[in-house]
Amino acid sequence: MRRTDKYRFWFVLAGLVLLHFSVRTKLGDERVAPDFLLLAVLMYTIRAAPGPSSAAGFLVGIIRDAMSPASFGANALAHTLVGYLSSWAKAVFFAENLFVNGCIFFGGTWIRNLIVALASGELKGAPLAWQLLGWSTLQSLFTALAGVLVLLVLGRWLSVRFTDA
Amino acid sequence: MTIEAERYGSRADTFVFLGCLALSITAMSVPDSWRRPFSQALRQTVLAPFLTLQEETETLKSSKAHVEAVTSQRDSAMLAATFLPELRSENARLRTLLGLGARLQTGYVPAEVLHESVPTDPLTFLVSAGKRDGVKALDAVVSPEGLVGVVSAVDEKTSVVATWAHPEFRAAAMAADGSVYGIVAPHGSEGPGIWMLELQGVPYRSVVPESTLIVSSGLGGVIPRGIPLGTVVGQGVDNEHWERTYLIRPAVHPASVTHVMIITGATAGGGNLRDLFQAEAKSP
Repeated sequence: MRRTDKYRFWFVLAGLVLLHFSVRTKLGDERVAPDFLLLAVLMYTIRAAPGPSSAAGFLVGIIRDAMSPASFGANALAHTLVGYLSSWAKAVFFAENLFVNGCIFFGGTWIRNLIVALASGELKGAPLAWQLLGWSTLQSLFTALAGVLVLLVLGRWLSVRFTDA
Repeated sequence: MTIEAERYGSRADTFVFLGCLALSITAMSVPDSWRRPFSQALRQTVLAPFLTLQEETETLKSSKAHVEAVTSQRDSAMLAATFLPELRSENARLRTLLGLGARLQTGYVPAEVLHESVPTDPLTFLVSAGKRDGVKALDAVVSPEGLVGVVSAVDEKTSVVATWAHPEFRAAAMAADGSVYGIVAPHGSEGPGIWMLELQGVPYRSVVPESTLIVSSGLGGVIPRGIPLGTVVGQGVDNEHWERTYLIRPAVHPASVTHVMIITGATAGGGNLRDLFQAEAKSP
């Protein structure tokens, strides 16, 4: 593993963050457009240990909360949990398999949306069900597709693994 | 951090996770007065470049939509503008028609030419006035420029007008100064000549100069006296039997008419309408 590979990894993550703030608004309905920011978090967490993954999730979550102050803390909680769980999930299903990664992206997005919806308490009853079964499922699917596409195109750059020594 | 390490789930990881979890729950429970300054600080520092990027992207997106809207509006305006000269022309024609109506005062019926959307006989047309408006067969049909034709058939609400280009059209005519009398008829039955008139039956000794205005003479009582028919543009080629024929450029082309007046009775001009039309002929 070359030293430059690690920089390439960060380069890809930075690219995903930029995509989130630039291209995402052009990809149709905001409720179903792929979440590149969460994808960047998941890309990191499936290669890192649970501790740093939780911290990364928390940081991204609290930053997202700053953009939606009404449900402050909900994103931090959701991203922390998703970061921690995805890191563990990758450890359990350890395999550089495209399908496994896709499932983690899908599940991570859906669980994040579930926790945010429940923690913020803004949706209840039928709207909550519709949000989780409809919009959230679609967004998870598109996020997973985007993640798989990134892995297909830039998979070699992302084949690094960060864990505590 | 190192690469390719295999140890997972150390105690430190658990502490970090629990710490983050606790911070998240704390963030959810802090009062609104604490959240706002914190969120604001994040938006103005860490998030500032990203929000700017997002804003620029939104601006770009809306600009594109704006350009498309402006282009669409411009295309619509251009399409509308193509009809502008025609509308101006019609407006001017209606104004002159109103002027003529004011001078005629009585004895006329205004009517709209009902253009057909399918190919039809160009020598006749339909107008929106009929028997119930007092229109009769052989009534003269005029526009501000002069004679358009005569009514050939009348229905309850509409009438058929035979224009001066119709092969059966004839009108007793004279020079505007009354020096020459004759009969005006269509110049030909086909080709470009169909849209010209000719003054027939002029005595051989009488010479009519070019640009002489030819008006109806009122002989026969069908077409009132003094309605312009056209102006002389030259002498016809068929001069025989000691008479002359003159080529006349019609005062009005049937295709340019959208509204007409049908003379149904006595008008303000009495027996001679010449003054009414002469005033009109001078206007552009």
